[in-house]
This record gives sequence, structure tokens and C-alpha cells, in this order.
Amino acid sequence: MGAHDLWLLSPQLAMAALACTALVVDLATGRSKLVLWLSLIGLVIPAALSIALWAANPADTLVFFGAASVDRFSLFFTLLFTGVAAAVIVSAEKYASRFQEQRGEFVGLILASTTGMMLLASANELITIYVSLELTALPVAALLAFLREDRSAEAGMKFLILSGVSSALLLYGLVFIFGFTGTTRLDEIFARIGDLQASGGFDSTVPFGSYGLLLGIALAISGFAFKLAAAPFQMWVPDAYEGGPTPVVAFLSVASKAAGFAVVLRILYSAFGSPELAVEWSALFAVLAVVTMTLGNLMALPQKNVKRLLGYSTISQAGFMLIGLAAVSANTSAGSLVAGPQSVVFYLAGYAFTNLAVFLGVIAITNRTNDNTIAGFAGMGRRAPVTALLLAIGLISLLGLPPTVGFMSKIFVFNAAVNSGLAWLALAGVLNSVISAYYYLRVIRAMYMEAPTSDERITLDPSLGVATGIAAFGAVLFGVAPWFLLRAAEIAVRSLSGVAGS
Amino acid sequence: MLELVHLQVLSAALFSIGLYGVLARRSAVLVLISIELMLNAVNVNLIGLGAFADRPAESRVFGQILAIFVITISAAELGLAFAIILKLFRSRGSVNTDELNLMKW
Amino acid sequence: MLEDYFRQYALIGIFAAVAVLVPTGMLLASYLASLARIRPTRPRPPNWRESPPPYLRTYESGLQPIGGPWRRINIRYYAFGLLFVIFDIETIFLYPWAVEYGVLSARFGIFAFIEALIFIGILAIGWAYAWRKRAMEWT
Repeated sequence: MGAHDLWLLSPQLAMAALACTALVVDLATGRSKLVLWLSLIGLVIPAALSIALWAANPADTLVFFGAASVDRFSLFFTLLFTGVAAAVIVSAEKYASRFQEQRGEFVGLILASTTGMMLLASANELITIYVSLELTALPVAALLAFLREDRSAEAGMKFLILSGVSSALLLYGLVFIFGFTGTTRLDEIFARIGDLQASGGFDSTVPFGSYGLLLGIALAISGFAFKLAAAPFQMWVPDAYEGGPTPVVAFLSVASKAAGFAVVLRILYSAFGSPELAVEWSALFAVLAVVTMTLGNLMALPQKNVKRLLGYSTISQAGFMLIGLAAVSANTSAGSLVAGPQSVVFYLAGYAFTNLAVFLGVIAITNRTNDNTIAGFAGMGRRAPVTALLLAIGLISLLGLPPTVGFMSKIFVFNAAVNSGLAWLALAGVLNSVISAYYYLRVIRAMYMEAPTSDERITLDPSLGVATGIAAFGAVLFGVAPWFLLRAAEIAVRSLSGVAGS
Repeated sequence: MLELVHLQVLSAALFSIGLYGVLARRSAVLVLISIELMLNAVNVNLIGLGAFADRPAESRVFGQILAIFVITISAAELGLAFAIILKLFRSRGSVNTDELNLMKW
Repeated sequence: MLEDYFRQYALIGIFAAVAVLVPTGMLLASYLASLARIRPTRPRPPNWRESPPPYLRTYESGLQPIGGPWRRINIRYYAFGLLFVIFDIETIFLYPWAVEYGVLSARFGIFAFIEALIFIGILAIGWAYAWRKRAMEWT
């Protein structure tokens, strides 16, 4: 431990310091606008540190006795979270007037949650995983209850109760994994499981080779399913999305989901990456993927509220990402192990641009109309042409049509599934994409084909407009030329121990 | 004598009681107490593993460290939950979870 | 070995029996005394619930009790309780640090001390927050 550890962990430390600074500045001055712009500028520091670390690519990535591993995988997500946090903070500039009184705390809590996510993406040890998971969830629960309405408190309460139950399940699973292997570090768990397999300690008739490990992994995955918004822990999603403040919901749907997938990828490949275990959890995720996306899509069909619709949409998108988790090929020929996680990471990055474009567009429109129903978006193509266009680009990307990043993400995920012998899963994914067209296109139809309810123009705030524009531009750019992002995702995934080694 | 398996059975029983409480109780306060019961069931298991498992001492101590973190975080979680419950109670006059039904489907 | 095991349970059993016998014996003695007219009776006036005579009041160390035992407790106690619990539990982490400080400082030097200062500093921000937001005032 020493200077090297601090340098490696500097993005996370900078983010934590920024969160504290935001709180202190708010306490001292009470000027929420100042806090907002100050922390927006401050976000440059963790981003710059992450880029510097990515470029330096130190050989020894373990920090603080192996508690975290700051490899390029975690740096990729660190950059992603920083960007998402910046977009969310910008989007709250006008929206914050609806909060009860704590406008300055909004920024501090978003940054605290981002710190948790950055730690989660680099956590290499069970205690760190649990603590950073809670650091991610608790500020978001508080933020969901920030609005004056009862719905907001209800959303926060539901989120908190389900988060508590799921973290108890996760902990119980982690305890079994710890009890079975006698260590909390993921790389040591991998080695211990290898020893046990070599010494014949595994029973091939039991899933995962042992009931202890079966229980541990199953409970831990149930706990993480809450974060991923995957079945069977998706019940909180629509309620939290409908009731919570829209910027927080955008943060939840993009960053929180990415953090969940990052930690699940790391646990699966670094701790349970041995081929015998991979076959088992691959089958588990294949089933979860089909259930999640079908459930999300079918429930989204009758929705009238756009935020609730996006809640179900986020469930179905989680289902598509789970396909990438399931796509681990049994025959470990070179490179085939990379395709599955690479497609997930690419999907997550593309989804961040796409969903931010959608949510920021929704915020830009509802800030003025204060109407979250689909009918409230009627005629926005004429009333707010730029915003409606950006929102439509986001929706088309969610639907997965070219030339957007959503199309490319789905191609890569389905491709990875077919290459690992899961063609039926890819087929289920394609069918679900077709179903999802109905509800995404309904919003676009309302904006462009229906008569507006009033003639008042809705102007776009410059800061929010720039953020939405960047998000929509990214969604198109990486749809036309995905190679840069795809390469970055590959480098990130290859730095994950357990992927590159085989 | 007392062995690891006894603690694990106790922990599993506590966890199941807690889970039942979460699913069956109406009052939000009792739901939170049930979540607390689940977390404490985990703690019993963790400390049991630390005390009985035949592992080297430096790896056994991790169970106890995790237990301390669980206690701390559950306190923070409860504090937040009660703040939200208070907010709900002020406007609704009730803390029953089956009345948290402004949003459905 | 096994006999020792049961002897310990027997001790607990004796203790439990005494714990049950003493209060029930006292209540029974009092009842018998009232049958034998040694103990004065405590008549209950018709409105004893509203204005109880002194011998029926809840004992509050000589003070007049305010309200019944089941009345709702003021919500403002909640904020104090919450602050106490959170800060109390945070100090759990200082305890092992203090116990192992010698080992830590031998290995990591001054950093072991600075680390705890950072921890306390973050706690202090929370405390300042609660103070500034008037969570500790009774108004």
C-alpha cells in the first residue's frame, strides 16, 4: 500500500472528494446553481484521471491488498459513469425547481452514487462489492423521494424496500461463496475453486458442482438482478420510474444498470470463469434473458405514461444485455470468450447514449408541459422540432433500427449468442425487437402524426440542448462507425482476468 | 456441542422468517424490521463461519469485518427508510404498504 | 463432557425458576394478605381512569405523569434517535482502528493516522450538515 495505490484509485477518490465538496459548498453558500456548475467542472478531474490511467495502463492493477482492481475494464466504466453523471446534473438544472427544498443535495447525492458505481466497477472483493453496491443504491433511494408529490415518496419507499431485500439475498449468497471458498477476493475464489475441482471436490451431478456454491451463486445473482432490472426482481422498475424525478430515473436506468452489469461480468469471469461453471450460469442467464425481455415488452404494450413505458422498456433492454452474458461459448477457442462480454459492454455504452437522448428529450419537453402521458407528446414534431428529432433518434435506437447504435448493439449481442450455440436465444431476441416496435413507434407517431394540443412553441435550453445533442449524436455516430467503441470495449474486456487468460 | 451447522440452521430460519415478514406484513415499519432480521441472519452466518470454519485466521476475520459493515449500512438504510416513511405519513396518515398504490401496472 | 453440558442447563433452569417464583410469590402473598384483611384495600372510584387517586397512578419518581403510556411519542425524538444511531454505529470502525493502531502505524506510518482523520472528517461533514439543517434544534 502506498502512493501507487492512491494513484490507481485516484478517479474514485477524486469523485468522492467532489461529492463531499458539493455538499460543503451547498452548506456554506446555499446557492444550488453554483454547486451545480462547480461540480460539473469538477467532473473533469475524475474523467482526466481515468484517461491518464487508461493511457498509462499500469501492470499491477490491484489496490489495497486486492480489494479493487483498477484495470481498463473498470476505467471504461469509470469514464462512462462520469459522462452520465454530467448529463444528469445538466438535465436537473431546470428540473430542480420541483424539488422540495434540497436542490444542492441533489448534486451531492448523484456524485456519491457515482462514486459507488465507480468502486463497484473496480471492486475485486466481496466486502467492497457489498459496500459500494449500497453506496450506489442508498443515494438513489433518497433522490427518488425528492419530489413534493406522494408518488415520489412511494417510488423511493418501494425502491428502498426491494433494494433491502435484494441486498439481503445478495449478502446471503456472498456468505455462502465466502464460506465455501474461505476467501473474499475474486481471484483467490477462482484459484480455490480450481483446486477443489482438481482434487475431485466437485460432484458433477449437482449444478455448479456443489450445493454450497449453487446456493451462493443463485442467491448472489438474484441480488444483482435487482440492480440490472432483470426478472424476477423487476417489480420496482415501473413504479420507481413513474414516481421519481426524471433526471434521477435517467441516472438509474443508465448508470445503475451499467454498474450492475460491470460487477456481474467481473464476478462471473474473474471468480466463476472456469468452463464447468460457465456452462451452468450461461444456461441460467439464457432463461433469465428470455423471461426478462418478454415480460418487459408485453407489459410495455398497454402503457399510457411515457416514463412508465420507459421503465418497461429498460426491463426489456436488460433482457437483451443478458443475452450477451449467456453467450459464453463452451468450446473455448481463442477470441470466442471475448465476444459475449464485449457485446454487453458495447451495448451498455451505446445504451447510455441512447437512453440519455430519450430521457433528456423527455425532460426538455415535460419541463414545460408537465404532462408525462403519451398524449401529452402529441404534435411535438411541430411544437419542439429539435427536441422531438433528438428524442425520436433515441427511440429508434432503443428499437434497434439502423443507422443507430441500438441496431449495432443488437447485432453484436445476437451474433455472440449464435456463435456460442444459442441461436434460439438470438431468435427470441429478434422476435422481441419486433414486438417492441409497437410501443416505441407509438411515441414517435404521437409526436409527428397527431395534432398538437396547443400552438405554444417549446424552446430548448442551451445547456440541456447541448447534452441531448451529444447523446443523440453519439447514438448515431456509433451506429454508423462502431469500430472505435467496439475496440475500446474489447480492450476493456480483455483486461478482465478470466477472459484474457483462456 | 454447538457446531457450525447449528448456527447455519439458525441463520436460515431467521432469514426465512424475515423474508416471510417482508412479504406478509402490512406496516412499512414491520417490513423494515423484517429486512433487518434478514440482514442479521446473514450476520449470524458470517460470525459462525469466522468462529468455526477450519481456515487460517486471516481469512476467517473477513467474515467479522463484513458483519460490521452490514450493521453500519443497515443502520444507514433504516435511517433513510424512516425518513421516507415520515414523509409518507405526514401526507397520508398511514404507513401501510398495501396503501402504497398510487401507481399500478 | 455431556454431564457438564447438562449441568450448565440445570443452572439456567434453577435461575429461571427463581426468577419466576419471586414475583409470583410476592403477588400471591399480597393477595393472601388482602384476604386476611392485613393489607389495606385500594378502592377504585368510578372515574379512576380519568383522575386516578395517587395509589393508582403510574409511578414516575414522584412527578405527575403526563398522558398514558400508549400515547404517541413526539416525532422530534426520531431525528435525535436517528442521528445518535448513525453516528454511534460509525464509531464501530474507530474501535478496531484504535485497538490495532500500534500494528498499523508500525506498518504504514503516519498514513494510518491520516486515514482515520479522513474518516472523522467525512463524519464531521455529516454532523455539520445536521447542525446547519437545524436537525438538532427543538423547534
